[in-house]
This record gives sequence, C-alpha cells and structure tokens, in this order.
Amino acid sequence: MKEQLPALIVAVPLLAALLVTALWWFDRRLCFPIAIAAVGASLAAAVTLLLRVLSEGAVDYYLGGWPPPVGIAYRIDHLNGLIAVAVSLVSFLNLAACRTVAEQEFREKTGAFYALYLLFTTGLLGILITGDAFNLYVLLEISSLTGYALLGLGPGRAFLSGLNYVFMGTVGASLYLLGIGYLYVITGSLNMADIAAILPSLLPSNLVIMAFVLCLTGLFVKMALLPLHGWLPNAYTYAPSMVSSLIAPLTTKVMIYVMIRITLSVFSFDFAFDETLLRLPILWLAILAITIGSLMALSQRRLKKMLSYIVVAEVGYMVGGFWLGNRSGMSGAVLHIINDAFMTLCVFLAAGAIAFKAEDDRLRNLTGLFRTMPATMAALVVGALSLIGIPPTCGFFSKWYLISGGIEAGQYGFVAALIFSSLVNGILFFRVFEICYFEPTSPPHAYRYRRTVPAAGTGAVTEAPADLLTVLIATAVLLIVLGLYSGEIVTRVIHLALPPGLS
Amino acid sequence: MRLLGFITVVLLGGLLFHLSLDFPDLGDASSPAATHVSPYYIEHTMEDTSVPNIVTAVLADYRGYDTLFETAVIFSAGLACFFLMRISERTAPKARFYRHLPTGLTLRIEKGGKIPEDTREFERIDSVWVPYDVIITMTCRLVVPFIQLFALYVIAHGHHSPGGGFQGGVIFGAAIILYAISNNLRRTLRRMSERMSALFGSVGVIIYGGTGMLCLLLGAGFLDYRGMASLLGVDPVSARSYSILIVETGVGLAVTAVMVWIYYNLSSAGKQDEGL
Repeated sequence: MKEQLPALIVAVPLLAALLVTALWWFDRRLCFPIAIAAVGASLAAAVTLLLRVLSEGAVDYYLGGWPPPVGIAYRIDHLNGLIAVAVSLVSFLNLAACRTVAEQEFREKTGAFYALYLLFTTGLLGILITGDAFNLYVLLEISSLTGYALLGLGPGRAFLSGLNYVFMGTVGASLYLLGIGYLYVITGSLNMADIAAILPSLLPSNLVIMAFVLCLTGLFVKMALLPLHGWLPNAYTYAPSMVSSLIAPLTTKVMIYVMIRITLSVFSFDFAFDETLLRLPILWLAILAITIGSLMALSQRRLKKMLSYIVVAEVGYMVGGFWLGNRSGMSGAVLHIINDAFMTLCVFLAAGAIAFKAEDDRLRNLTGLFRTMPATMAALVVGALSLIGIPPTCGFFSKWYLISGGIEAGQYGFVAALIFSSLVNGILFFRVFEICYFEPTSPPHAYRYRRTVPAAGTGAVTEAPADLLTVLIATAVLLIVLGLYSGEIVTRVIHLALPPGLS
Repeated sequence: MRLLGFITVVLLGGLLFHLSLDFPDLGDASSPAATHVSPYYIEHTMEDTSVPNIVTAVLADYRGYDTLFETAVIFSAGLACFFLMRISERTAPKARFYRHLPTGLTLRIEKGGKIPEDTREFERIDSVWVPYDVIITMTCRLVVPFIQLFALYVIAHGHHSPGGGFQGGVIFGAAIILYAISNNLRRTLRRMSERMSALFGSVGVIIYGGTGMLCLLLGAGFLDYRGMASLLGVDPVSARSYSILIVETGVGLAVTAVMVWIYYNLSSAGKQDEGL
C-alpha cells in the first residue's frame, strides 16, 4: 500500500467527491464526514510521501503501469512534496472550519458544495505531483472549472465577477495548452523529464522560446500577475466567505509552483535565465505588481477587497523572488508559497467570520469588533503581523530571504518594492485595528447598513462559530510555529528542491 | 485603446503565424511527433492490450488517467451548472395549463382554480404556447429508440472502430434531449428524474475511478488493468481489453447523464418545471 500513496493522494478525494454527490440524494448527514475523511487521507498521504522523499529521494509512480514517455508518470520530489503537504493542510483546515457557515450559505446545495470542494482539492494536488505536462493541463481544467462554480455563488455581483474569471481563466489555460502543443510538435513527448532531456539538442530555436513564453503567459493570467490580474479582486471579494478562504490561499500559489516546475524541470535553468531575455522584464513586472497591488489595497473600503489586492501584491513577491535567479531569492519564493498559503488562509478565514457574523465587511462599519469578536480579531492580528513581516511570525522569514536575495542579485528596485509593500501592509492593518478597537460604536449607524439583524437574536454581533474559531486560532498558532521552524524547512527541504550549483 | 488592442493582436497573431512556418510539415513521417512515442503505440498496441483501435488504447489505457479526469471534468461541469443555476423555491404560477389528451383541447386554470380531477385524461403543459403536434411527437418517439441503440453500438464498438464512451454517451444524451424537446420537460423528468441523472453521472465516473481503485486493491497500480486479470479470469492482456470496455461504459453513462442534467438546468433556468 505504501507504494501506492502517490495515486491515493489524488484518487481518494476524487472518489469521495463522486460519492458525496451520489449520497446527497439519500442521506445528507453523510456528506461532511466523507469529505473531511477524504481530505484527511490526502493530507496523511502527502505527509508520508514527504517523509519518504526526505529519506529516500524523489519518488516515481507510473499510472497504469506504463513507464514514461508512453504513459503518465507522477514524480514527487522535495519541491512538490513540501507544497502538497501545505495545500492539503490548507484544504483540510478550511474544510474543518466551514461546516456551520457553508450549511447556512448553501442550504440544499451543500452536497454539491462539498463535491466541488473535493474536486477542486483533487485538481490542485494532481497539478502538484504530476510529471506530465498535459496531465497537468487536465487537472488545471478540473480545479479551474470547480473554482469558477464555487466563486460564482456569492451574493451580489459574484455571478458577474465569476464570469469575468471564466473568460480570463479560459484564455490563460488555452495559452498554456498552446505552449504544450508547441512542445509536443518540437519534441514529440509530453513527459516533463523526457522533454527536458530532448530540448537541449534542439537549441537555439525560436519555437522553444515561443513555447516557453506561451506557457508563462498562460500561467501569469492564472496566477494574476499584475497587468493580467483583472479577474482576481472582484472574484475573491464577492465569493462566499468559505470559498474565498479556500481559493485565495491556494490557486495563485499552485500556479506559481507550476511556473517554477515548468521553468526548472521542463526548460532548464540555464535556458530560462541566460538564453531568453525574460529575466529582467518579469522581475520588473513583479516589482510593478508589488507596488501597484499595495497601492490599490490602500484605496479599498472593503476588508475582503483590500485582502484580495494584498494577494495580488504577494504574487509579485514570489514571481520576483524566483526570477532573481539566486539561491536566497528562490528559497524565499518557495518558502513564501508555503507561508503565504497559511497567512492568506488566516486572514481570509477571519474576514469570512466577520462577514458571516457582522454581515458587512465595509471598513467603516467594523467598529467594536475587538469587544464582540475578541478571539477572531486576535487571530486576524497574528495574520496581519505575518503579512507585514514582524519577526516571530513566518512572514518575516520568507521576506528576509527575498530581500537578501534581492541585495545579492543587486536588484535594489525589488528590495525597495518589498520594503514599501511591508510598510503599506502595516498602514492597512493598523487602520483596520484602529477602526475595530478605538472607533466608538454607534449601533443605529451600523445597523443601517446591515441587511438583516445578526443570527444571534439579541441583535448584537457575537463570536464566530466554534468550528471556524478553533481552526482560525490553530492557523494563527501555525503561523508562529512555521516561523520558528522556517530555518529547518529551508535547509532540509527547500535547498534540496533547487537546482544544484545555484549561487 | 481599441486600436492599440487591435494592433497588438495583429502583431502577436503574425508572430504566431510566422513561427508556425518552422513547424514540420503536416503528415511528415520524420517529424518528432511521428518518430518519438507514436511508433511504440503503433507497434505494440495489439500485443499490449489486444485492442485493434490504437486511439482507444491510447485514450483508455496508455493515457487512461487523463481520460479519467476528462470524465471528471464533464461531471464537474454538470455539478457546476446544478450548483449555480438550480432554484428550489417554487412560486405558484399565475395560471396553469392542462391538455385534455383525447381531444387535444387546452384548459387554462387561473390561480386558485380547481385542477381537473381525472389526471389520466389531463396533462399539465407549459405556460408558453405549445402546439399539440402529433407528427413531431410521434416521429421523435419512433426515432429515439434507434438513436439509443446506435449509441450503445458506438460505446461497445469503440474497440474496433471510431467511437467509444464519449461519443456514444453524447448520442445517448442527445436522444433523451430530443425526447424532451419534442415532448416537454415534465414528461422527460418523469422518465428520468433529476436525482437519477445526478446519480448516473456520479456512478459513471465511479465505475471508471473504481476500476482504477480495484486494480490498486488487487495489487497492481492505480488503473493498471492487469490487476483485473484474476477478477475477470483472463490473462493480463485480455484483462486490459475488457477493462477498457468497462471504463468506456462508465464514461458513456456519465456523459449521458451529465448532458441531460445540464439540459434540465439550462432549459428551465434552474427551476426544472418547464422550458423549451
């Protein structure tokens, strides 16, 4: 059974999603336990695999028993092993948190929600561990399609912003597919390792460069790098709260992983950084993303929209860090994928709890929340400190690697953008805290903007539901634990994931 | 701005066109795509899987894992339509319409009015005008069984000729949709309820994924059909061939059900009372 773990990571949530859809028509109480057991099993499989990778090196798995390039192969190494653990853990935590809220938000469609949730997780985990460039696209389709559906069922303008995401996302995925098509025409293979073995003999070739550019552009749309980020803020703002806390931490990070994987494992490091002239332009795009994302966040009046623009800026951190092309920068980028997944989960869960209880996330209406929801706000403070980059939390450490990487590479523009963005994050969150802590509460004023009186019945905002609160606090603690162990993670896992011989 | 966009599109399109000149010629026997992996499929399919149709073997065995997820994509599409569109709250319509079946007369009953007692003679019909057209209804009714039979042939014959689960499933689903268009949504829902289409959709993909899981539990890898040999009582190569038929059946079932499910939700804007 131990040999079969790579298949089980993906197959278990897939089958569970189908089972949930079927059983929903018979017994609705069974759905949640099946869903959480399936994601839990994926998490356990991912952790076991990472431990195995750490002790034995990369693990290969041939689906259907066909060795590549004839069949499809999975390949788990230090890079995707680590990120798979993070992704399944985020998915598990969010699922554990979402039951009360989801049952109220989706009512008779909760079964479909759990099924789509599981399929989304399946898609992302499959993207992470596959070693086949086309298989990656198929799973990308699954995670995008379910993502569109989940994001579209929010209140207000969610339908419209979801539709916008459908258009942009489809264009992005098609560009990636076109790039893979080019690669297939040139090499005749779809397996990543096989393509990587064939490509050097074909260089220099304009077609290879074009394939690379097409793949990258498609992925930039999917990860919302600045000029292509148009779909993200509205889609995440208007989404149901338990959906934005699932998709915001995961989608962009997994796409950044795909960029790293395609760059390093399909095209080589030397090709991507030396033979194309892409390094500096992408770095400047990242700097632009960080600066403009932060400035846009500063001008928002709604909590979730502000957080969405912070996600746009964070994408710039990771893309820029990777394209610095040195050991510190790349380590920082990979570490930030992990850290940012949990930081985003933490703040979006808190925002979801606030939106659920206060039924409003306009900043000026958040008065008095430290009194009414103290534990939620405490977790939000930890998440915010981590996003700003205050030492005991994990956000500081990845930023440290990114900044030192920038200095080593002599890219002071990137360093300046990072510091600027940290300062802006500080202003953003302390503005929120000021409103929540110091602004006088004036019930009549606050009530005017609520659609209905909160569920508690007494008319006052109360603490978040117990399951959500437990997970939220656990995530906040995790942010500090991750910070304390980030040295271990970098030296024992991430350094082994990067190409050897990197300066 | 619009002009700028136009110029960019023309330039990039020209670049793509220019680069496509570097491609190997169409049908070039010495191109990488024709010399790297393809020869293996062409030379070994028969001895590996005993399936005469190479496309089917690549689709359902060599790259069967992709196909499993393509089926899951179709299932996700059905689920997404349900999730986004289905409305379960019913509001009573202003007027309801009944057709007296023996005579073809239409009855209009205002809100609060009494419904005809003998429901075997009366059938509720859509509120938009629907002509009582015997020719269309009867013709479609006669054609539907043959379309369905052909769909089963396409599914079963994927081993030897173009066809397989996706194509057969689409034909089968189209037959049911034809019935729904020529009659009405209510009558179709009585034949195949929403619950049934959702169940068949998930069961179809479960057949595919479950076969993979079964192989895993029987000691081979995931979707390694050789594991089914002991269960089916045949040699490993034939086991691959039989398993391909099993998964193709699953695909056909899923595609049929999901097409019908999507039609139900799209045609009635999620209300599933009447439409088209």
